[in-house]
Amino acid sequence: MNKRRKFADDVRTVVTWLSTSISVIVLAAIFVFVFSRGWNTLSWDVLMSDYHPENMLVEFSDGTPGHFERPADLDDADVFSEKYGFALRDEIDHRKQHLMVLTYIADDSPLRDAVFAGSGPRKGDKITVMEDMQIRRFDYMSEARGRKSPAGFMGNQKTADETIERIETDGSALIGMFYQSTGGGMRGSLVATLMLIGLTLVIALPIGIAAAVYLHELAPKNKFTSVIRSFIEMLSGVPSIVFGLMGMTMLFSVTALFGITTQSILLGALTLSVILFPVIIRQTEEALIVVPDGLRMASLSLGSSHTQMIFKVILPNALPGILTATLLSISRIIGESAALIYTMGVAINDHPEIGRSGTSLAVQIWTVMTGEQPNFELASAISIVILIMVLVLNLTVKGISSRLNRKWRT
Amino acid sequence: MDARMTTDPMIESPQTEPQASSELDVKPETPEETKPAKQVRMPDPKLDPNSPNVFEVRDLNLYYEKFHALKNVTIDIPKNHVTAFIGPSGCGKSTLLRCFNRMNDLIDGVRIDGSITMEGQDIHSKDLDVVNLRTEVGMVFQAPNPFPMSIFDNVAYGLRCQGIRDMKKLRVVVEDSLRKAALWEEAKDHLHRNALKLSGGQQQRLCIARAIALEPKVILMDEPTSALDPIATAHIEDLIEELKKLYTIIIVTHSMNQAARISDKTAFFLLGDLVEVGDTSEVFHVPRDKRTEDYISGKFG
Repeated sequence: MNKRRKFADDVRTVVTWLSTSISVIVLAAIFVFVFSRGWNTLSWDVLMSDYHPENMLVEFSDGTPGHFERPADLDDADVFSEKYGFALRDEIDHRKQHLMVLTYIADDSPLRDAVFAGSGPRKGDKITVMEDMQIRRFDYMSEARGRKSPAGFMGNQKTADETIERIETDGSALIGMFYQSTGGGMRGSLVATLMLIGLTLVIALPIGIAAAVYLHELAPKNKFTSVIRSFIEMLSGVPSIVFGLMGMTMLFSVTALFGITTQSILLGALTLSVILFPVIIRQTEEALIVVPDGLRMASLSLGSSHTQMIFKVILPNALPGILTATLLSISRIIGESAALIYTMGVAINDHPEIGRSGTSLAVQIWTVMTGEQPNFELASAISIVILIMVLVLNLTVKGISSRLNRKWRT
Repeated sequence: MDARMTTDPMIESPQTEPQASSELDVKPETPEETKPAKQVRMPDPKLDPNSPNVFEVRDLNLYYEKFHALKNVTIDIPKNHVTAFIGPSGCGKSTLLRCFNRMNDLIDGVRIDGSITMEGQDIHSKDLDVVNLRTEVGMVFQAPNPFPMSIFDNVAYGLRCQGIRDMKKLRVVVEDSLRKAALWEEAKDHLHRNALKLSGGQQQRLCIARAIALEPKVILMDEPTSALDPIATAHIEDLIEELKKLYTIIIVTHSMNQAARISDKTAFFLLGDLVEVGDTSEVFHVPRDKRTEDYISGKFG
């Protein structure tokens, strides 16, 4: 090779390297970004708690002060109340707002013995106050004024230090407190996503598989069939938001048959089913193609009917491929957002039901980012959850398809 | 000699074709009446008049789209004999074999003229249930193709398709079929092992057992040993010797030695024509047709 040829060769090689590294870098950047923003937020509590904070007004049965020892493992930032046996810490939330978090409650602290003091049917119910709650206000008996006084955010105190100092020096007894659960969790969306996956698969899999069986095994191989097939494949090119519009207008009447009058998880599932038909039909057909013709011949030559052949021989042997189709569908469901905005709603629902609106994880990202105070941390944490789910699904698909390939090689 | 006359291409020339087919069109359901006419033409010494031919093929033409794959084939398949189809690749012998259990129906663009009767019944008639036909005409394929399920389930497959669920009966049939296929001794201890774990020869015997389980009248074998090693081939050939006492066997084979070893009658095909059919010994030793002689002596093929 002369110099010039060698140079051209090097240039071409470098171009391929660069192209590969671009995609790798982009992927790495996404992971780094999402993990750096969301990893600290992500915890079991965030996964398992409600998004909407719950407000609680409680009264203590016995608010008289005692004497408590500061536990040794308490952080320096925690402010401990020796009279009432609890600790507070100042924190800044994602809206850059200051809050006081209850970090420790002693076993025989008055805070352990609380009843619900708000109005409604729960009034008087026993409440177990948990750590990690955001304290808004303490009500205490003021010695100086001889009446009930507030301390905390609602009063003139702001920091944990000031609040505890006020109730310890000025108060003779704790009466009650007003607090909020932390919120900002994703349990509702997680449950809604699982419901969505289940419902969608229940609707889409049987129809998709049956359609694939018809197209590949039963339909006459003529122009009409291939036109139908290309129509179905064209469906996969339609933007999902268009499906969302269609679901909102056309499929809504289907859910109305079940007496559902709003956007609902069922409507979302119906819409996603339509989106998934081409995916499932395509994948199932691929799986059917892999089943050797010899098995079809063998089955028919043994006097099986066509449908017996399909159900006894072909579908069992296409099962790994159908499973792949299922897993791909699940990742599609997890990742879909546009079609769900119209059909499932954007209001985060902590207690999702099939007939009510709710958000999937992907839509929750959209919701927490559209408010006036975008919650980057929570959005990133949800992204991590989604990425991990999709990653696990993809690895499973890889494993299954390599098994599938091995099966017929002998 | 007379036996060969019927299938001699000179006699089965297109000029005689219309008469033959019209004769059958008039009386398709009366084999007793058509037989005397045939017996005049072909008094086969091996054929007992009381046990007629299983299949009678008359002027069969088969086209794949435009391709004329079988040309005016007329042949009788005698009961409880082994009939071998030989000929070079693409000569139509497998195509004819697949006509007997109508497997050609599965191929798009196939058109069939002429008639095939099985014990007097036209197998292309609308009254005939193709599923029943296939239970009466079993088939063994070139490559062993057991289902990826247990040995037991493979053999019981056909019966289960007919809705037989009685395990006692299935067990009896499975054992009986495996014995007839000379696989019982090897397989009896692991009937519930996956059939794909068997060796190629065992798999092919399993496929034979699977076909036998339906008690067919005829077993079609499409080059059943071409994917097997010589020892497994010998096993299968021994098995065919045994099976011909019970069943009519039609075997397509590439190996002329195999045809000579195991068959009673041999039919030689070339480019869609049935060139010659007769007793195996005669076809191999005193072939009537020059082309048969050339093929058998290895001048082409």
